[in-house]
Amino acid sequence: MDPTANKSSPLLVPGAVAAQKQAASAPMSSSYENQWLAPEEKQRGTSPAGSRGSSDTKQSKASSEAGSPQIAQQNQNQNQQHQQQQQQPPRKSQKDMTKAERRALQEQQRLAKQGRVAAGLPKSAKKAAEMEPTNKKAQQPQQQLEKQTQQSTADDKQKKKARAPKTDQNEVPWLMHLDSPKKPETSSNKDLHPAVLALGLYFSEHKIVGSNARCVAMLETFSKVIEDHRPPADATFARNIQKHLDPHIAYLLGTRPMSLSMRECIRWLKKEISDIVEEDPPLSDDEARSRLIEAIEHFIRERITMADQLIVQNGLQKIQEGEVILTYGKSSVVESLLLETKRKGIDFKVIIVDSRPLLEGKHLLRRLAAAGVDCSYYLLSSVYVALRSVTKVIMGAHALLNNGAVYSRVGTAMVAMAARDKQIPVMICCETYKFVNRTQVDSLVLNEIGNPDELVDTKPVYNSCHQTHPTPTESALSSWREQPNLRLLNLLYDVTPSKYITLVVTEVGLIPCTSAPVIWREYK
Amino acid sequence: MTLPTQLEAQVENFITRLKRRQVIGSYEVAKETAVILRQAVSMSKWRDADALIDIIRDLGGRLASAQPKELAVGNIVRRVLKIIREVVRGELDDMMDNDDYDDDNDSNTYSEDESSPPPSKNLSTTSSQIGSISERPQLTVESSMFRLLADVSPATPDDSSDTPEKKSYNLKPIIIQEINEEIIADLETVYKGIADQAVDYIHANEVIMTIGKSRTVEEFLIRAAQKRKFQVIVAETAPTYQGHDMAKALSNAGIDTTVIVDSAIFAAMPRVNKVVVGAHAVLANGGLVAVTGSQLLAAAAKHHATPVLVCTALYKLSPVFAYDAETFNITVAPNSILDFQQGSLIDKVSVANPYYDYVAPELVSLFVHNLGSAPPTYVYRLINDNYDPEDTSL
Repeated sequence: MDPTANKSSPLLVPGAVAAQKQAASAPMSSSYENQWLAPEEKQRGTSPAGSRGSSDTKQSKASSEAGSPQIAQQNQNQNQQHQQQQQQPPRKSQKDMTKAERRALQEQQRLAKQGRVAAGLPKSAKKAAEMEPTNKKAQQPQQQLEKQTQQSTADDKQKKKARAPKTDQNEVPWLMHLDSPKKPETSSNKDLHPAVLALGLYFSEHKIVGSNARCVAMLETFSKVIEDHRPPADATFARNIQKHLDPHIAYLLGTRPMSLSMRECIRWLKKEISDIVEEDPPLSDDEARSRLIEAIEHFIRERITMADQLIVQNGLQKIQEGEVILTYGKSSVVESLLLETKRKGIDFKVIIVDSRPLLEGKHLLRRLAAAGVDCSYYLLSSVYVALRSVTKVIMGAHALLNNGAVYSRVGTAMVAMAARDKQIPVMICCETYKFVNRTQVDSLVLNEIGNPDELVDTKPVYNSCHQTHPTPTESALSSWREQPNLRLLNLLYDVTPSKYITLVVTEVGLIPCTSAPVIWREYK
Repeated sequence: MTLPTQLEAQVENFITRLKRRQVIGSYEVAKETAVILRQAVSMSKWRDADALIDIIRDLGGRLASAQPKELAVGNIVRRVLKIIREVVRGELDDMMDNDDYDDDNDSNTYSEDESSPPPSKNLSTTSSQIGSISERPQLTVESSMFRLLADVSPATPDDSSDTPEKKSYNLKPIIIQEINEEIIADLETVYKGIADQAVDYIHANEVIMTIGKSRTVEEFLIRAAQKRKFQVIVAETAPTYQGHDMAKALSNAGIDTTVIVDSAIFAAMPRVNKVVVGAHAVLANGGLVAVTGSQLLAAAAKHHATPVLVCTALYKLSPVFAYDAETFNITVAPNSILDFQQGSLIDKVSVANPYYDYVAPELVSLFVHNLGSAPPTYVYRLINDNYDPEDTSL
């Protein structure tokens, strides 16, 4: 595990590195394998303590490929420590904490400080502690622990009020039912598993994106939590694990509203847990634990990894020589399909359509170009120009709704509509675990609002002689918060009506999108 | 025909700037073209109307070919040519006493070149009425019928031979006056004419969606906001981000504005009551050449049965057809899509950055222009009124 991997080469494909590591488990490198939670072999107690210096790997993306083995070690260390200090988490010295924990502690202290300021207490913790007895008497005359949590929630409320004017101003009136993005609050969640805290931070900073990646990351993290959980003396493992997992789930919900597919996974997990509880004769703790962990592994393998491979096989039937395929954004399944098509030696071209602000298509472009596929790249606004020579459109999905509509990255509906107008078939690749039992008729009822500042982040453009913009160095809206009457809306998902979709490729076959509820019933 | 050197220098300057795309916006281009053509009429030597027409046509051809995708140049040239011919015809009829045709025609065409200045002034201040157009078609219907029945140029055979000199003597001031009034002054009032109609198209509490930065649309919405309260959603128009500037201008004027990314257009469309866009040029079949993303916006609006209003001035009307979507498109530097820092990726990938979009006439509900409004099916009549058919190819 040497950190001498090429940190500067932009074409170093993270998926390839991950594939080498788990060559035994998955023959095809799926792009939802993220480098943040590289699946480590569950070795324990063998990692040396000298991996502290890897703390900066999490920051730089370029060196993350080299950092992944080190992060694996870090995770192992985390588990080790957590194992040792299971029931009583004492204050560890900062040197012993991992970066995530240090971050969490810092966050906690910062929030506490804000709370103190908002409550009118002096800023330093020492002086506030002197005054604390008066506050406690004023608020809740109860046990120490409850007081602390309640105080922190009161601080949170005050903090929220102070923050409210800005976020309220940015709220779009017809989207007030959706939560605006917020930073994960780690202060009141000291008793959560640190892996879940870290995962929440990854989600909120968009380090792990994509429905498959997020699902897999979440399930693996929960698997760790289950592994490490030791129930209190008066309850069995099986009955307690659900209660134990609930605050973790709530925390993740607070960082980023859960994708529909993640909700399905959690529903499945809860069903598994309740199945284990009902087992008669009741299983021992260890048996229940290992059964659950095995079930999770099984789920990931069967319904995500193997499903992707089957989808690729099914989808290959539909790609012939000389095709020009258009895809939108970055879907791990579509990427696997295109790479496999290239491997089979079929001659085809790919057009990648991308959109701001996430610009995910660039990553797909990099991987495909590295594999030697003939690619073109367009932005969404010029999709009609791109569609001139296209024979098929293949896209991925985030979830498939009961009425056959596709819930996917924002912009998918436009590409499907444009293709339909030109009578070009639209194929959606979707695993069956993404089929959900809900329906939406428009994109606004359930959606996710992203960070509005991403819209303003327009990189300086080195144009020589653009028609109307000589050289815009930054967006005109860089100070948009001071601008009155102005709101920025960063929607992340949209719903594509079923009439624009020709075909859905799943691991159980090729189905019309209106058969979605049938599949859901079969495989729930 | 060689032009006088002073004029030639001006022309060369303009052509260079056109080629380098340093003249920004069709409004500026139209204005400068009109000024140059007026100079050409006044400074060059010509003995009769035909010679003048040849000079202008020649010059116009040079200007149009400097930047063929900038259709406003050609439009103004065609307008000037039509004015010249109209003036010539007006003078001609003046001369003709014993005419075969009705006094109706006579008085009409006579009144045409004298009374046309006042009506055009009136027309620009009235708010939207289709009737405001009808004043002009009445006159010009006569002239087109006139054309059908008669052989206009060269001048009618009954003309005496000494009239050409007399005409060129008289025509120059009239032509220059016409150019000043009909074209240059008209250009000044273009934005006002469109904005005046704004209140007729927007009701209270509407949600309007727009894309790109168009001064016409901006003035339209700001004028409407003085009387009505509504919200605007602006699509940001990557990669030029013109939408950001538009949003800033609108919110500064007190309009409740929301900026969305282009990909969210379909998602937000159920919420929108009207779509208002500007255009770079309007083609003879009613189609538009507009900023990239407009086709997406118009198609999404069509799918949601939302009306699409296009605010354009009449000088953007062009008597050419687009036989495919690429005819009037320009591609600009692609580094705003995939910048050069991507390094080795650039070699393996083909990137295109088209600047314009072609919007089919079926997707447009109404054109709002400075003299009223027109559905896309009426555009060919507007073109007939403003241009002569023999000028279509310069």
